Amino acid sequence: MASSHGVARTIRIRTPAQREADKQKIAVYRDLDSRLLALNASPYPSPAFADPSVLALTAEVLSRNPEHYTAWNVRRRCLTCGSFSRHSPGPSPSAPPGTSWAPTTPSPSSAASSPSSSAVTRPDPASQCPPPSGPSGTRPDPAIDPATDPATDPATDPDKTLRSELQFTFPLIRANPKCYWIWNYRLWLLQQAINLLPAPVARRIWEEELGLVGMMLNKDQRNFHAWGYRRHVVSNLESPALAGASMAEAEFAYTQQKISSGLSNFSAWHYRGRLIPQLLTERGAGDAERRAFLDDEFSLIRRALDVGPEDQSCWYYHQFLVSNITSASSRLAIAPNLPSADEVSILRHEVEYIKDLLEDYDEDIKLAFEALIDHILAIARLEDRETTAEERGELATLLAKLRASDPMRKGRWDAFEKDIGLSPSR
Amino acid sequence: MTGHAEKLPEELKLVTAAHVKYIQSLDTKEDEYDYWLTEHLRLNGVYWGLNALHLLGHPDALPRDKTIEFVLSCQHPSGGFSAAPGHDAHMLPTLYAIQILVMLDALDVLEQRGAGKVQVGQFVADLQNRATGTFAGDEFGEEDTRFLYAALNALSLLGLLSLVDVDKAVEHVVSCVNFDGGYGVSPGAESHAGQVFTCVAALSIAGRLDLVDADKLGRWLSERQIAGGGLNGRPEKKEDVCYSWWVLSSLAMIGRTHWIDREQLIGFILRCQDSELGGIADRPGDMVDVWHTVFGVSGLSLLNYPGLEPVDPVYCMPKASIDRVMGR
Ligand SMILES: [Zn+2]
Repeated sequence: MASSHGVARTIRIRTPAQREADKQKIAVYRDLDSRLLALNASPYPSPAFADPSVLALTAEVLSRNPEHYTAWNVRRRCLTCGSFSRHSPGPSPSAPPGTSWAPTTPSPSSAASSPSSSAVTRPDPASQCPPPSGPSGTRPDPAIDPATDPATDPATDPDKTLRSELQFTFPLIRANPKCYWIWNYRLWLLQQAINLLPAPVARRIWEEELGLVGMMLNKDQRNFHAWGYRRHVVSNLESPALAGASMAEAEFAYTQQKISSGLSNFSAWHYRGRLIPQLLTERGAGDAERRAFLDDEFSLIRRALDVGPEDQSCWYYHQFLVSNITSASSRLAIAPNLPSADEVSILRHEVEYIKDLLEDYDEDIKLAFEALIDHILAIARLEDRETTAEERGELATLLAKLRASDPMRKGRWDAFEKDIGLSPSR
Repeated sequence: MTGHAEKLPEELKLVTAAHVKYIQSLDTKEDEYDYWLTEHLRLNGVYWGLNALHLLGHPDALPRDKTIEFVLSCQHPSGGFSAAPGHDAHMLPTLYAIQILVMLDALDVLEQRGAGKVQVGQFVADLQNRATGTFAGDEFGEEDTRFLYAALNALSLLGLLSLVDVDKAVEHVVSCVNFDGGYGVSPGAESHAGQVFTCVAALSIAGRLDLVDADKLGRWLSERQIAGGGLNGRPEKKEDVCYSWWVLSSLAMIGRTHWIDREQLIGFILRCQDSELGGIADRPGDMVDVWHTVFGVSGLSLLNYPGLEPVDPVYCMPKASIDRVMGR
């Protein structure tokens, strides 16, 4: 309850029975929590963390409280001292890629798959590992440990451990999509995949992760964590460590799909804008192709604005495209070598479009007024001249409309009026 | 807009006494399951509550000695602080510990009974990624502009900014800017009001507000105010008291709070109060919590709502505390 969002205010009066039930729950939780923290006070690394009961204990705590960041850390320490400690990167004779585990289904049979009960009571595969006898990394490969059967014992297989861990966090992240700690823990697991597994095996795990992010973004189109996570997963899938190549085309197509299902998804528009420079470079696009690309993007956003003329997300993307013409920053450039006359004609074309939009639409669209002001000023700048008397008249009319339709931002209109020299005070 | 808070209808007044009582009650809920489930936020909660109490003009409403004891009980030999005893040290509770001690004018206890200021500063400094300038939250390496801000905030309060590469940190912040003037959680990420606050506040601490395109950013920020007076954190999202603070304080740092409607924002925050039992919620009618309570009160303070102590927009702490620790 330290921060709650969107939870309706109710007055909760507990019956004596509920109080008693709460008391029981508190007693159980406090017992788990204090055992976990007591263990965490022991020196690290130590064999204590490799004891199977510890991993089970963290699961008990985390299934009740996924925000318990220390429990996530203890879980990392368990794995680092346990089943991740005996492996070095590179192919493992016991786990030839693609043969020892089922592909891409989100529910590997070896791991607990129901949301809570089995996930919290079943000891992790690592439980069967004997405690390490020394600092991490010094144990012999378990494939030659006669005590275990490497073909079936998940304890010997970091791939299986990783999958079981990812599986463990899955119901938690679905129920708590905004919990930083779970996202971070998953990223840590994925990093271990790169460190511990042959690249093709690790790659498969990362690819499946992209599927999970897609699912999370279907549930909440704007989830900030999920979008950031997606960028992270993609950049790893593109990296040499995972024998990757650019995914700009596929990701660009993904933004198209997201935008089609929700025009006000600015997160998707933003990502799209960020991908374009990379995409055009990879296509080896020449000036003509770049110009055509820019025109296509303008067409796309105009179609979106026709549907949602008051949608900020669409206007921001329009602004982004215009900034490619008006801003000096080459980082943004879609068509960096556009002749100045073409730049002006594009802007004039947009002015006509916005005016038409305003005519077709009954109500004031204050974002359209703002865009018109931006365009008029930008055209004068590109033509390297002062605004004409006619333009100044137009600006004054637009500003008056802004004041009328958007009184909340009066202070900004005042400042702006002064800035562009319309105010008598200047 | 004209008019003053005094003219607001009776039900739209700040219920100071109820808020003080609400905050005092937070540590008496040991018979509630939630109290235990939020233990990993205990120190954070003390900062939120104590800050709100200072701004409400009741700085002594929590017992000073007990608070200091609790802060010290969260310190690790590394110098870092955890959110509760026995939990792991992390950047955020470390900042909160320092902020609490500054508000209590008790930084000296770090020398007398803690690991020493320099050790605390070193814990923070060691979390800087020297290659990129950004900061991680803990040893496991999650990087986020929130941690960069927390680091500069904490170190500047300790007078130990020299322990880190401030120029590199500034470079990193600049690399997070977007075409709309806003900042994201990392380079390439969408602009987000919380991240704008952390980035602009970090630049402010570094003395580099000159790097902010104030008109462009002010435009984006002012568009966060929506019908009803509240502010959202990103385009086409719902309004929320915590985002209202981050947007408003960012506007304050770039000198543009007059770009939004003060009266309407005051009205929105006041409507989020539980006027009977105290506390402020994210939106009207929702469950209150101490997090939205401190950001609601801070917002009102920054809007010069009568009867509140002035807040520092960069540190989200009483201005008087910042002036004292900075020797201003
Ligand atoms: Zn909030």
